[in-house]
Amino acid sequence: MNNFGVVEVASQKTKNAPGWAYVPDTGLTPAAAAALQPLNRKRAARDKANVVGAPDLTARQDAKIRKDLEALDKDSHRDAQIPIPPRAGGTRAQNKHTPNVRKILQSQKTFGNHLDDYQAFLALAESNPQLAAQVNKPTPTTTARNSPAPSTITTASTNKRSSVASKRAAAAAKEEKSGGSNNKRSRTQAQQHPKQADDDDLEMTDAPEPTTAEPVPVSESSEPRPDDTPAPLEPELSEETEAETESKPQSYPPDGTILPAYNRPPPAAHPGDDDPLLVSRVPPFPTDEELRALMTAPPLSYLEARAQWDEDEGGRYPVRRFCEVCGYWGRVKCIKCGARVCALECLETHREECLVRYGL
Amino acid sequence: MAGGGGSRKSRAAGPVPPTTTLVLDNGADTIKAGFVSDDKSDEKPRIIPNCIARDRHRKICVASELEKCKDFSEMAFRRPVEKGYIVNWEAQKEIWDREFFDDKAPQKCNPSEARLILTEQPNSLPSLQTHCDQIVFEEYGFASYYRGVGSVFNAYLDIQSIFRTPQTTIDSPAEVILLIDTGYSHTTVTPIIQGRPLHPAIRRLDVGGKLMTNYLTRLLSVRHFDMRNEPYIVNEMKEAVCYTSLDFKGDLEKSWKGTRGEKREDYVSGAGIAKDYVLPDSHTRFHGVVRDYEPGVSARARKGMVSTEDILTLRNERFVVPELLFNPSDIGIRQPGIADLVKQSLLALPIGLWPGLLANIVVVGGNSLSEGFCQRLQTEILKRFPDECRVRVARPEDPITSTWLGAANFAKHEHASRLQVTKQEYEEHGAAWVARKFAAGLGLDS
Repeated sequence: MNNFGVVEVASQKTKNAPGWAYVPDTGLTPAAAAALQPLNRKRAARDKANVVGAPDLTARQDAKIRKDLEALDKDSHRDAQIPIPPRAGGTRAQNKHTPNVRKILQSQKTFGNHLDDYQAFLALAESNPQLAAQVNKPTPTTTARNSPAPSTITTASTNKRSSVASKRAAAAAKEEKSGGSNNKRSRTQAQQHPKQADDDDLEMTDAPEPTTAEPVPVSESSEPRPDDTPAPLEPELSEETEAETESKPQSYPPDGTILPAYNRPPPAAHPGDDDPLLVSRVPPFPTDEELRALMTAPPLSYLEARAQWDEDEGGRYPVRRFCEVCGYWGRVKCIKCGARVCALECLETHREECLVRYGL
Repeated sequence: MAGGGGSRKSRAAGPVPPTTTLVLDNGADTIKAGFVSDDKSDEKPRIIPNCIARDRHRKICVASELEKCKDFSEMAFRRPVEKGYIVNWEAQKEIWDREFFDDKAPQKCNPSEARLILTEQPNSLPSLQTHCDQIVFEEYGFASYYRGVGSVFNAYLDIQSIFRTPQTTIDSPAEVILLIDTGYSHTTVTPIIQGRPLHPAIRRLDVGGKLMTNYLTRLLSVRHFDMRNEPYIVNEMKEAVCYTSLDFKGDLEKSWKGTRGEKREDYVSGAGIAKDYVLPDSHTRFHGVVRDYEPGVSARARKGMVSTEDILTLRNERFVVPELLFNPSDIGIRQPGIADLVKQSLLALPIGLWPGLLANIVVVGGNSLSEGFCQRLQTEILKRFPDECRVRVARPEDPITSTWLGAANFAKHEHASRLQVTKQEYEEHGAAWVARKFAAGLGLDS
């Protein structure tokens, strides 16, 4: 009960790395800084409670939720160290591993460590313009054509006798193949076949040349389609609109080269086809350029692909709360710790083990 | 490495293209593996647990040895795949060696004469991808190799037959699909056009089978027995009992015991929701059994009258757990549910693509096996899009192996030969070039 007024603020940095790891130091966010040193002392307490979580979550509850989620994310309840068992029929013929492979096999890093390294690498690249100039955008969101994927940074930067910082960045990106031998190899290869690597790259870069033969579909589809033009939406979308392919020369999608037009016989006409109330409004189909850009876009990074809550919290439904004992709606709040329970019976069960102590 | 990493195996690396392909869907929970070649291909993959397990007698089994185990109580697992990506190569190599490359391996494969097609989860970290490529070529020395996003391979399946659309021709790859992969580590949404993923619209929700099993473990430990050391048993229970509720509020109401002293009729009778689950006792019974709820049984068992079996009565645990996919905020995860995930993904695309994608939603992955999942997903997605968009959600017959089947079709497709990288090319251009080639994907010319 007595926690000496200490409230644990939820923290995300809980990784312990084998050896060492780069950790991004992004400084305090404006919101967190404001909570620590509020300009307006009157509202300080309220703002402190609000800064991390949903409005009615205190820092303690927030820390509890985060801890619970971390526990749910673990593979096992206890950290089990399971060694690899020896082979039944003696050891297998031990191959000599290459240096890269040996490094990978000996690495005890977890996914969290790798992610930290990657983030630190991104942060460093952002703060170091020299590096950023060499690698114009070191995330995997770089296009395959213009700039190398992060794994090429090592070779590129070391070849150019770059600064220590960029070397460290490369190390942070865990490009463990960054040994000199590799560079030597690629350099000699480059001398032997000066142009080949580039040619091969260009082969994969999806330059927009293959569709130049048919300029018609692009111009047609880039025409602004009148909004009320009824066009069939999709083969199975609606029968009424289907039938209109016969009467109208337009097809959906327009005769693009990427997605060919629907060319099978449309379904039979329906008496309701001309009814203005039944007409579907169809958004314009993307042009070939748009599709090409989408289909050749580089992958997002791990963090970018993670779905986030929308920024405007108004559009979201409120979070549902459940009884922590039986799982029914949490209609009653425990006075001591703020946990939700459904009714008196569950509240009594909860009280037996309701502890408010540091770190819980 | 200076002399070329694979010189020790160069005797076999001739210019002859490999005829057999090892197709490997390396999931976090299970590996799906099989061979594809011109004359003889596996119909179905072999499903191998991707873990090293230790039972309570401290006996250790690796991968498919787990099938011989009987007693799963207090079993602990070590998994080489974390968050869907291969992280611990020490363990992964051991499992691969035992399953594919040892002399007595059940699926013997000679890498220097084979092609490897390996699936990965989208948006991987570049360092992990490089590790993977290096191991494949430098350690195993596969003749050629392609590493691609797992969900994309599903486009090479006969998608329209999953929807039961009458059709004459089969498009391979399918023109337009929106693929939802809900697996052990996470759930991803991937729009795919002509076999190319639309990378800017791929979204991930960090709720998967593992989190759901752990959540069920927590619920049971609070309400019944401490099950925290029994992940295998709880997972079995989850697969047997959990269902996706179509009427969450109503089901929750029915399974509520009521206020003090109240005897609610639905609660007493079970209302079709309550089920009895008989736990394995590791003497006569090694797997749990689901029984219909009998009002008196658990009460009698509690009094110690019939104490031969441990019975859990599961009520709202049955539908609260899969509900996490639809409302992750229920346990405080600040991420949108699966239907909003679809919406966020589509918002990154031009509206003109929505109708096609929404009419062709395919769900794969083990979590989709929960009863009512597709129906719930369809109604939730319908609510979020204009009425005129037709929404169809379908699940392949076996959602767990469907990625492998797609990848097997891909191996026979000409796209595979365009995308693969040979060992020679790797040695010539290095790992970075390989990573770029795989990231660039198919391109557009076809």
